[in-house]
Amino acid sequence: MSPETPSGQIAPRSAVKRRQVLKGLAGGVAIFAWPTPGLALPEDATRAIQALFGDRPLQEGRVVVELPKLSENGYSVAMAIDVDSPMTENDHVSRIAVFAEENPLPDVVRFELGPRAGRASIKTRIRLGASQRIRAVAQMNDGSLWTSYAFTVVTLAACVVQG
Amino acid sequence: MTNSATITRRQFIVGASAAGIGLSLGVLPRGASAAAGPDEVNAWVRIATDDTVTIRIARSEMGQGTLTGLAQLVAEELECDWNRVTWEFPTPGQNLARERVWKDFSTGGSNGLRGSQQYVREGGAAARIMLIGAAAEAWGVSASECSARDSVITHGPSGRTTTFGKVAVAAARQPVPQNVTLKDPSTWHTAGKPKMRLDTQDKLTGKLVYGADLRFDGMLLASIMDCPVKGGKLVSFDADAIKDMPGVKKVLAVKTSVGTGLGTDGVAVVADTWWRAHSALKALPIEWDFGPNANFSDADVTRLLESGLDADEAFRGNWAGDMDAAFASAEQMVESVYKCPSQSHAPMEPMNATALVTADKCEVWCPTQNGESALAAAAEASGLPIEKCDVHKTLLGGGFGRRGAPDYVHQVVAIAKAFPGTPIKLQWSREEDQKHGFYHPTTMAKLRGSLDADGKLTGLHMRISGQSILAALIPQALVNGADLATFQGVVKPGLSPSMDQHQISYDFPNLLVDHAMRNPPIRPGFWRGVNVNQNAIYLESFMDELAHAAGRDPLEFRLAHMEKNPKGAAVLKAVAERSGWGSEDGKARGLATMYAFGSYVAACAEVRVVDGKLKIDRIVAATDCGTAVNPQQIQAQVEGSFVYGLSAMLYGEITYKDGQVQQDNFHTYPSMRIAEMPLVEAIVMPSGGFFGGVGEPTIAVAAPAVLNALFAATGKRIRSIPLKDADLTA
Repeated sequence: MSPETPSGQIAPRSAVKRRQVLKGLAGGVAIFAWPTPGLALPEDATRAIQALFGDRPLQEGRVVVELPKLSENGYSVAMAIDVDSPMTENDHVSRIAVFAEENPLPDVVRFELGPRAGRASIKTRIRLGASQRIRAVAQMNDGSLWTSYAFTVVTLAACVVQG
Repeated sequence: MTNSATITRRQFIVGASAAGIGLSLGVLPRGASAAAGPDEVNAWVRIATDDTVTIRIARSEMGQGTLTGLAQLVAEELECDWNRVTWEFPTPGQNLARERVWKDFSTGGSNGLRGSQQYVREGGAAARIMLIGAAAEAWGVSASECSARDSVITHGPSGRTTTFGKVAVAAARQPVPQNVTLKDPSTWHTAGKPKMRLDTQDKLTGKLVYGADLRFDGMLLASIMDCPVKGGKLVSFDADAIKDMPGVKKVLAVKTSVGTGLGTDGVAVVADTWWRAHSALKALPIEWDFGPNANFSDADVTRLLESGLDADEAFRGNWAGDMDAAFASAEQMVESVYKCPSQSHAPMEPMNATALVTADKCEVWCPTQNGESALAAAAEASGLPIEKCDVHKTLLGGGFGRRGAPDYVHQVVAIAKAFPGTPIKLQWSREEDQKHGFYHPTTMAKLRGSLDADGKLTGLHMRISGQSILAALIPQALVNGADLATFQGVVKPGLSPSMDQHQISYDFPNLLVDHAMRNPPIRPGFWRGVNVNQNAIYLESFMDELAHAAGRDPLEFRLAHMEKNPKGAAVLKAVAERSGWGSEDGKARGLATMYAFGSYVAACAEVRVVDGKLKIDRIVAATDCGTAVNPQQIQAQVEGSFVYGLSAMLYGEITYKDGQVQQDNFHTYPSMRIAEMPLVEAIVMPSGGFFGGVGEPTIAVAAPAVLNALFAATGKRIRSIPLKDADLTA
């Protein structure tokens, strides 16, 4: 398992309609999302996901993303990802990618896995620029894509960051 | 250390709850559910059968009056009897358990009222609709025929009345209104008025509790000492050497991380009294590794900052036209270099927090500007699920931005983990607080301006060189490496949504404002007014210099560039008129203006220099914050901001020698004294249509107005603060 260097580009953000972006994404089942009406996936995050996985459909499920409900300032946020997989030669997770929808560089980290990883379970710390959804996409060895997300509130020292 | 009587924890909780004020411990049943009490109409309002209205306040109170202002906004829409209003703090744990029904707890950026006014008013309005709905249902009449005022509900056609307290329980079962229409501020009768603060009487009687006052039965006290040099490490300590000192219970290494490696690495001693803990800590043999900054001094800061003044690479924060072309065709060029030092928050009450950690629970009592950030810190430090943690806020003995960082919560929880079941109060010494702060960032600036033959300003370059707060504390908020917050007060409109509240006051035809980031190994932080303060000194002093070089009146010179900023021009004109600007009375006056934290502000200072000493006689300060929620509090905030802003200008300076901060207490880091304080005349002139901040904006105009007046008095231009060492003899 080795994280690759994330790449990305800063671009002005304009939200696009969620259904335009993630065809086939079943109704979102958050681990602990607070109701956020009009939730849309920002363009950068969409582009980052498409760059990695193309237009293949994402299916909701099999992935569990855990983040603290509150993060002190987003500098170093503990994250755990578990994917439901037997991790055998015939049925395993081959890749997990993490996208922070509101980060300037949404493509946070990617992990390459194989059956010898034993478990599709990852713990690490990531950096978050704002309160946001963190989406994990797991690619199985049959090419299918599974996804889920968690929401965390970054409480930040707010003297300048808030609008 | 305090004169508060020792009380048991249970007494304390019950007492605070019964009084309905102070710490809101036990206000709601604690535990994972944080269920609503029977008298809760909605999250913002509880109404008892005796018609006492308790309004919930999520933001922190540190003297700024937000508590009263927020209560006024809720009460206005609720139409309750203001004389029966009291308040309580919900805990961040309750907020989390109730899906953040009270939203943001952070109290900074002059954002307490303006950031939450919409939803707290909606909360008050929703509660009113539910109360009226309950009364109408009981009467079998239409709610549209009923109205509420002063906690009394009246059915118009029949004249029947009831009170809020009688229908509160039924009201909670009413459907929650989805779309509420808020009152126009012009019709306000409770908000917008100079109501007395809700907390003054309880402060005067000593009823309100600050963090430093807290005492619990069986509590142990801790004093802490961080490595004297930032970036250094604790190597070892000899606990045996102090183990027989009176009252000593334990010596622990305590480490916290903050942002990019600017955390703490120190030692705490726990004893049965604070003085014993602190005495033992001072006697403790400690070996430090001072690390890479062991020889760091002020000369290094100056060298570093100077290296950015003409550097080729810099981040742009504002630009227009062609500055180089304007400079090339200039009739006259003006150039100046300015400097502002690191400054300490120096709150009256040094950092402290009290924690009780058991195997399955972590509770913290502390003064904090951000209850949720403190809760996140408690969860992280305890290692417990956040649902098992909570934070009980006390009032703050000064915040000024310092108490937005929960480093002391990490520390106290780390210590309390070693004493399961025993409450631990960590109290920093004044010296620790002074020497290990999150200091106002230090910067320099080089400004160049071109004037044409008519004395008109044709081009301006403002180069800021120096420290970035975000790079140190929140590097993920940098944009392509740039810290846009360093441009507060001079930023280009539209550059960033969060910076539009600090956009430049002037319209210059040819302009460049840029920042060469230079970060010394000093931990920076958000300090009341943040980066607006130094940018105001730089720009507003230089505008004065340009006006004099052009032979123009500084007021007229400014107004010539404010045609597109009528509200900014209005506050500037207001202070000029009130202060007698331009009158031939021999008085030396100076002006400054800014748009910051969403408000338009200006100041005119009147000074004399007597025997080489500065005497500030009078300040006239105007604020257009759009909507005034409590005009008396705004006036008080503006007056207070000059105590803080002028203290910083006169005395505020943190210096370094051998990597260590040289100022350790109020004798080396003074505030201004009563005798030095000028008369402050605050003009509150809300123009309507928006909500601007109040706690910070006028700080920024304090120093430049005085510096410009000082020039008028003496012909000497002071370009570096603090003034304490400046030679003011004409």
